[in-house]
Amino acid sequence: MSRIEPIPVMLVTEPMRLTALDPDTALLRLPANTGHGHGDGEQCVACAMRTDVRALLFDLLEAAKQELRPAFRRVIVDASAVADQGKVVAALTGKLPAQALRDHTVARLFYLVG
Amino acid sequence: MSPLTHQTTPYVPDWKEVRAALTEAARERILILDGAMGTMIQRLKLTEENFRGERFRNWNLPLQGNNDLLVLTEPERIEEIHYQYFMAGADIAETNTFSATSVAQADYGCESAVYDINYQGVVVARRAAQRAEAEDGRRRFVAGALGPTNKTSSMSTDVNSPGHRSITFDELVVAYGEAIRGLLDAGADLLLFETITDTLNTKAGIFAAQRLFEERGIDVPIMISGTITDLSGRTLSGQTPTAFWYSVRHANPLTIGLNCALGANAMRAHLGELSDVADTFICAYPNAGLPNAFGQYDESPEFMAEQIEGFAAAGYVNIVGGCCGSTPDHIRAIAQAVSKHKPRVIPEPERLLRLAGLEPFTLTKDIPFVNVGERTNVTGSARFRKLITAGDYTAALDVARDQVANGAQIIDINMDEGLIDSQQVMIEFLNLLAAEPDIAKVPLMIDSSKWEVIEAGLKCVQGKALVNSISMKEGEEQFLHYARLVRAYGAAVVVMAFDEQGQADTLERKVEICTRAYKLLTEEVGFPPEDIVFDPNVFAIATGIEEHNGYGVAFIEATKQITQTLPHVHVSGGISNLSFSFRGNEPVREAMHAVFLYYAIQNGMDMGIVNAGQLAVYESIDPELRDACEDVILNRNPDATDRLLALAERYRGTAGKEAAAKDMSWREKPVEERIAHALVNGITEFIDADTEEARQKYPRPLHVIEGPLMAGMGVVGDLFGSGKMFLPQVVKSARVMKQAVALLLPYMEAEKNANGDAAGRQSAGKVLMATVKGDVHDIGKNIVGVVLSCNNYEIIDLGVMVPAATILETAKRENVDIIGLSGLITPSLDEMAHVAAEMEREGFDIPLLIGGATTSRVHTAVKIHPRYQAGQAVHVNDASRAVGVVGNLLSKDTKISFIEDIRAEYAKAAAAHERAESEKRRIPLAQARANSFKPDWDNYTPPLPSFLGTRVFDDFDLAELAGFIDWTPFFQTWELKGRYPAILEDERQGEAARSLFADAQKMLGQIIDEKWFKPRAVVGFWPANAVGDDIRLFKDEARAEELATLFTLRQQLTKRDGKPNMALSDFVAPVGKPDYMGGFVVTAGLEEVEIAERFERQNDDYSSILVKALADRFAEALAEQMHQRVRKEFWGYAPDESLSADELLAETYQGIRPAPGYPAQPDHTEKTTLFRLLDAESSAGVKLTESYAMWPGSSVSGLYFSHPDAYYFGVAKVERDQVMDYAERKGMSVAEVERWLGPILNYIPGPAIVAAE
Repeated sequence: MSRIEPIPVMLVTEPMRLTALDPDTALLRLPANTGHGHGDGEQCVACAMRTDVRALLFDLLEAAKQELRPAFRRVIVDASAVADQGKVVAALTGKLPAQALRDHTVARLFYLVG
Repeated sequence: MSPLTHQTTPYVPDWKEVRAALTEAARERILILDGAMGTMIQRLKLTEENFRGERFRNWNLPLQGNNDLLVLTEPERIEEIHYQYFMAGADIAETNTFSATSVAQADYGCESAVYDINYQGVVVARRAAQRAEAEDGRRRFVAGALGPTNKTSSMSTDVNSPGHRSITFDELVVAYGEAIRGLLDAGADLLLFETITDTLNTKAGIFAAQRLFEERGIDVPIMISGTITDLSGRTLSGQTPTAFWYSVRHANPLTIGLNCALGANAMRAHLGELSDVADTFICAYPNAGLPNAFGQYDESPEFMAEQIEGFAAAGYVNIVGGCCGSTPDHIRAIAQAVSKHKPRVIPEPERLLRLAGLEPFTLTKDIPFVNVGERTNVTGSARFRKLITAGDYTAALDVARDQVANGAQIIDINMDEGLIDSQQVMIEFLNLLAAEPDIAKVPLMIDSSKWEVIEAGLKCVQGKALVNSISMKEGEEQFLHYARLVRAYGAAVVVMAFDEQGQADTLERKVEICTRAYKLLTEEVGFPPEDIVFDPNVFAIATGIEEHNGYGVAFIEATKQITQTLPHVHVSGGISNLSFSFRGNEPVREAMHAVFLYYAIQNGMDMGIVNAGQLAVYESIDPELRDACEDVILNRNPDATDRLLALAERYRGTAGKEAAAKDMSWREKPVEERIAHALVNGITEFIDADTEEARQKYPRPLHVIEGPLMAGMGVVGDLFGSGKMFLPQVVKSARVMKQAVALLLPYMEAEKNANGDAAGRQSAGKVLMATVKGDVHDIGKNIVGVVLSCNNYEIIDLGVMVPAATILETAKRENVDIIGLSGLITPSLDEMAHVAAEMEREGFDIPLLIGGATTSRVHTAVKIHPRYQAGQAVHVNDASRAVGVVGNLLSKDTKISFIEDIRAEYAKAAAAHERAESEKRRIPLAQARANSFKPDWDNYTPPLPSFLGTRVFDDFDLAELAGFIDWTPFFQTWELKGRYPAILEDERQGEAARSLFADAQKMLGQIIDEKWFKPRAVVGFWPANAVGDDIRLFKDEARAEELATLFTLRQQLTKRDGKPNMALSDFVAPVGKPDYMGGFVVTAGLEEVEIAERFERQNDDYSSILVKALADRFAEALAEQMHQRVRKEFWGYAPDESLSADELLAETYQGIRPAPGYPAQPDHTEKTTLFRLLDAESSAGVKLTESYAMWPGSSVSGLYFSHPDAYYFGVAKVERDQVMDYAERKGMSVAEVERWLGPILNYIPGPAIVAAE
């Protein structure tokens, strides 16, 4: 596997007018909840993919690897809809317990900036 | 409990019949599994009261949401849901026991209800099944559901600490075992492991199930169902569907499949993959699509049925059902939809070896030979061993990563190194490796000669590994036992052709043993033959011994017969043994290996541990050599060996400098070349004449130094740097250099006096070196000094036991560029930290080098570096590195970036250290004591020594002592790494080692003949008894009057598999049973110091270091000999012991002699008591320094324990509770104990503000 440069992740926590994204930047919007009947911010194995920032980042990577989307070098995560933004920060800084091997991969390949 | 649960007597199925019935039915039609239980429970809108029922009325935790409890508290409602599913068309119902393990129930504090939930879960479902059968006459089955638990054993929950595990395999076996007992006691027809997120968890579940089956002599059909939610198509633990299947196939499951996840569509591709590879039924039960914004699943029964019908139409499935969101309506629609389709036909995949990491590996016919990566094997790779013993897992993982990146299809992991806890290191390394997808993708070969290590390794891998190896060495029964376990852990196995009589060397024995093993494995254990790899033993040929000539043919022929007569098996072997007699001659070895493999592969060998980079291509071998190799390997004619030997000489590339030295042609060359030759080869014979000639040729003496001499040393430096010269050779070169310089010095002085302005020699920098206060060991420091002086550094050596103040004063006065500190005993670590702090305080900013046996990169990073921020502390672990480090530190160009790198590295090391420490679980002292080592004192009488009190010895035969010398550490002193005598034949270092050994033997002869050393020894024995963790010594046999107390420390590491937490006091009988202890101090004498100084004055550092190294060996040999006399004579408990020198070194005898300050009792201050008891200072002439080092340095002390079970262990880190207890026992202040135990404290000393948890 070729080494991938770590990818900076910028977190947006307040609804704002987004400026035009450059082609190297991927945008990830986190929904408020899974729609799975859990409370906001809660999830289960099956629906983690819908709200868990790490699962979604891993998916971005996979999608880029499988050429389902353009490659990217930066990610902006829009967490303005999320009630517990602390959890998103915790996930991005390695403080949230890992639930899958992908969480380890994401922890190594992405880092929070700003 | 409700009255209903009492009246039910369990229905016990005939599981064989169940399997047959299900198999038959599943071949005829697609069977139907039920739908979601949770979704149906949700619809009931139950309240906390429903969950509590009678049984949990007063539970102190909220129970709403703990759905599994409802089988106890609302059994009728659950039964009704099962009934609805059965009537909707389900053939199989899953019990409502998804979370009913002690692990998952811990969230509700309901661990005690686990068995009952599982039991009643089956009872409730069975009642529904019987009702449904009564109604329509169709048979229904009950599958006991087992969820994944909410913990994961194959990875860490903390991304910053990837080696951590919140649950172990063994804990999961217990948890699953309890649940499965409940399910089976109540008569579940099947077991269903579902929603699997972590394959290792499931492997533990399978292990637990099979243990129970074995116990009860039953075979319950198992269903296995994984979950894939990623776009990558992997399980949460990172495996592909095929890898997942290979990893659980040993369960021989009735079905494999998928459930839950993102709906039927998203599952289709993965299901297709499983359907292709799995030779068993496929079961799929997806969620009813994705939940929508209203918490409703968006797939209607019709829509879901349509998609599942798609699975059926594609021939993917044998059993279908629904997971989250599905209802009886969904199941009815699905049952109807698939009824039109034929069930999938089970494919019959070829019988091939199939292994798995995160990704699958199949040994197909397209792969003629699997090259097993050997670089993560400590016995195969010196570099890897170094990294592992140094605990540098990050770099060790990089080795594994490179290996995979370079195409290794399997990697061999072997941690069999005497200096480390192989089992623990295996666990730690595998756990870390699991978090590296680019390594963990390949399958692992778990390699050890110790079964415990193999077993510990198997408990860490979720994939299907290959075990290397088991054999019938210990008999059939043990072989079967190991084989069954290998199978139970789901691994394939390498079997060595080895039986009770020994290793098979003839064709007949090889085939006979492998055939016997094959029969046992396939018939008794049910081992799949394709999972068996035979290793019929590659032995050395062309050794000159006639019976070895046939070994090559025997292997090749055996390979042929084994692969022809034993279907599906594989053959492997370690190739390098073959050419053992041609060590040092790589071209011939490579040719032999290539020729051997050429024939062995043709005859069926398909796997091997070989260094792929060192394999010649058969076709490209010189035909003459190839022919000669074929002759020996195929044993084609009687003089084959002689011919190859003769031919080999031609290929002996650098046929050795020994030969070159005798070749005097170099004397014909110009003087510059002669000087270079003398330097590189360490020849002093002609250096005076050559130097004189050069002096006359060059205008000034200085030009000789800066010209030919420095040029020659430059060559030496390059050769050393590139690993082509070794330390003893470099030290010899330095001797030549010094001799030449000594000859030139008077002329330079004269020149200076004459002109008054002649420039002196320009040194590359001034280095001050010292062994710190309290420490007397200086061999390593002297070597570094010599190597640096070779590279034109000026060395100021302050010697040993140098106080900090002297070091700093000298450094200021001489304006040195660098300070180097050395020390060997642990208290020196603190002293070095003290010197560093003093340097900071005095305003120094020059670099500080740290070296010596007990120092480490981590210690420097954590303890020394923070104290000296103004400059830079650098750990230099060996002399070879010293030149590079000093060069970098003194160069304007590289200094800044080099220091930046060091700081970054130390920050990382410090962080890693902190993490590693916090991960190691240690237990409270009381718990450790409860788990102490308890010999059976009632049936054991400790031996009585032949005398009590002390006895002094000073009449030693040096020649006899020399026979006790262990040479391996001697070579280590010279940075030649390897065991004696193998080191002498080492391919790389052999030549240097032989030459050094010859010099040592010569000096040894002189030492003996001229009686250089006057060794002395004092030995004592006293009545003793253990009192807690202490050992009390008494004045006499009355044991009334106390003589002294020896204090010991106890291990506080968490122990597995019932191993005790050791302390030395465990080896001594408690009060009431007379026991004894011994102690000793031995020394090679003070003479060594003077002799070494004499050599130094003669500019002969080589001999100076040599005599010190030999003195150390003599002291150790003396200790070894005295210990033998103690066992045979003085204590006399082993009068008939007759061990060879090798056996002595392997410490196969009874009893131990641990020394205070070393791993079994890390407290150096205990030496005070020992020295007082023996009156060592006056009886043996050995003193203790303020750091408890012994002076003279070549001395050894220790305690004697006689108990047959006594062994050397390491106390490792201790906790605050033990330190406080120890301080109180010993009457020392806590702070003082902490000072001496600094290196082994598992906490940061300071006031304990918070009571330890």
